[in-house]
Amino acid sequence: MRFSTLLYKELRECLPWMLLAAIVLLTLGSFFLREQIHYRNPSWYYSRLSPGTIVESHLFTYSSILGVTGPLLLLSSIGLGLVLGIRHFWIPNFTRTWPFLLHRSVRRKTILTAKLVATTIAFVLCLGPVWIGLYWYACRSTIFPPQTLKNFIEGWIFIILGLVTYLGTALSGLSSAKWYTTKIFGLVFAAVVIFMTFPQCSLFRISAVIAASAAILLSQIFQIFGRREF
Amino acid sequence: MSEIVLETEGLTKYYGSSLAVDHLDLKIPRGCICGFVGRNGAGKTTAIKLMLGLLRPTAGSSRLLGCDSSELTPAIRQRIGYVTEGHRLFRWMSIAGLEKFQRAFFPEQWDDKFFADMIEYFELPKKKKIKHLSNGQRAQVSLAVALAPNPELLIMDDPTLGLDAAIRRQFLEGMIGLIMREGRTVLFSSHILGDVERVSDRIVVIDKGVLRANCSLEQFQEAVKKAILTFADSAPDEVNIDGLLHCKRMEKHLALTLVGIDDEKIIEWAKSAGAENYDIVKMNLEDQFIEFTAPANQKRLFKWEER
Repeated sequence: MRFSTLLYKELRECLPWMLLAAIVLLTLGSFFLREQIHYRNPSWYYSRLSPGTIVESHLFTYSSILGVTGPLLLLSSIGLGLVLGIRHFWIPNFTRTWPFLLHRSVRRKTILTAKLVATTIAFVLCLGPVWIGLYWYACRSTIFPPQTLKNFIEGWIFIILGLVTYLGTALSGLSSAKWYTTKIFGLVFAAVVIFMTFPQCSLFRISAVIAASAAILLSQIFQIFGRREF
Repeated sequence: MSEIVLETEGLTKYYGSSLAVDHLDLKIPRGCICGFVGRNGAGKTTAIKLMLGLLRPTAGSSRLLGCDSSELTPAIRQRIGYVTEGHRLFRWMSIAGLEKFQRAFFPEQWDDKFFADMIEYFELPKKKKIKHLSNGQRAQVSLAVALAPNPELLIMDDPTLGLDAAIRRQFLEGMIGLIMREGRTVLFSSHILGDVERVSDRIVVIDKGVLRANCSLEQFQEAVKKAILTFADSAPDEVNIDGLLHCKRMEKHLALTLVGIDDEKIIEWAKSAGAENYDIVKMNLEDQFIEFTAPANQKRLFKWEER
């Protein structure tokens, strides 16, 4: 009851940003896919060309769905992670609502867990279905090369990178150090993790890097939240 | 002696190199309404946050309802109501939403009728969001959600700050609703002495982080007094009397602010000093507080406590 109340409160605070991220990803993602389907379609081109025109072959090289929507998915995910991290851990410093929230008949770690669970649900609920929808849209199109399961999983990794950004933002928000010192550690750490996953290494290696970095960030966040002054 | 519900021992807090609370030793018995007064920046909010475990002390300790403040369990927190400074609530919530949120943390003790009565008394629209309420209305909601769980101990951090006189009175009357319930203890910080005088039966004075008084309101009002002495020629250069806070010379007159000294002793000293006339003036609480916390012209601040 207490946890679900906290969870509802955190989810409700995420809601506007969840909707915004889902709408941006859905609108731009479907726009880029449609653009790819239309303008890379030979029949579309041929119908508009005068007879005898030579068309360069690179126009018909098709990208995978991740090539088309990947950067957008990653940006949406990182953006959502940043915004939710700020909403959950920075804004209460300015609105001074920490004392009211912390004087609940629950332990601090329950309050923190509610925030983390709410954010995970927010990511899965708002970016997950859009990503599944875009993947399905690309799969049923005859223009795109056959989609692999690897593409699909990589999309989910992009979503998880948003969660890592959230954790980094949370750690920076909770730190009471000065800006130019350890306060930015969380954000810098999250940025490094994102860059480390760019080289096309194996899914296993990427997953291991993400899991390890999330574990480091989580342990730091729980430790700081448990003893921080508010 | 009655049970102590709030106790601090040598409670000290430094922010960097600045001292906010200095070795605070405080005991608040059950069932009293305690006005926690001090000037701006005296350390009231810091002391309250230390008591509630929101800040960690540099030294010393505090206990609420027998539990160490740094380890307040959910069960203990459930017995304590807290009104935050500035009534900081979740702005996006409606009053009804906030009621639902708060009720979840006090499932067995939440008094629906009391909450509904208070909301009706304050004429607050339940569907209205917190962000659309005025400061006064937010204070009233804050009080209602803190009182509805019927807490054993209610701690309020400057609850009437920024409220106009009418709202302040309504707020205090709402607070009396809790006080009427037997065995409840209230600690509220304020620098509006009229509020303290109206509802408190005990006063704690803190100045620059140092505890200056902790006694019943009656004792405080009895203890701080002003004596005006008139001399035939000129007032004596040296004033050597117990409990002297301030001494002001005006030609033939000498105005003394004293604390914790009987009228007889003042009269005795006045006669021995050759005063022609003497008058012991009754002060109101505000004047007493101002005199009591004003920088003293003594080398060492006088610290008066319940004897």
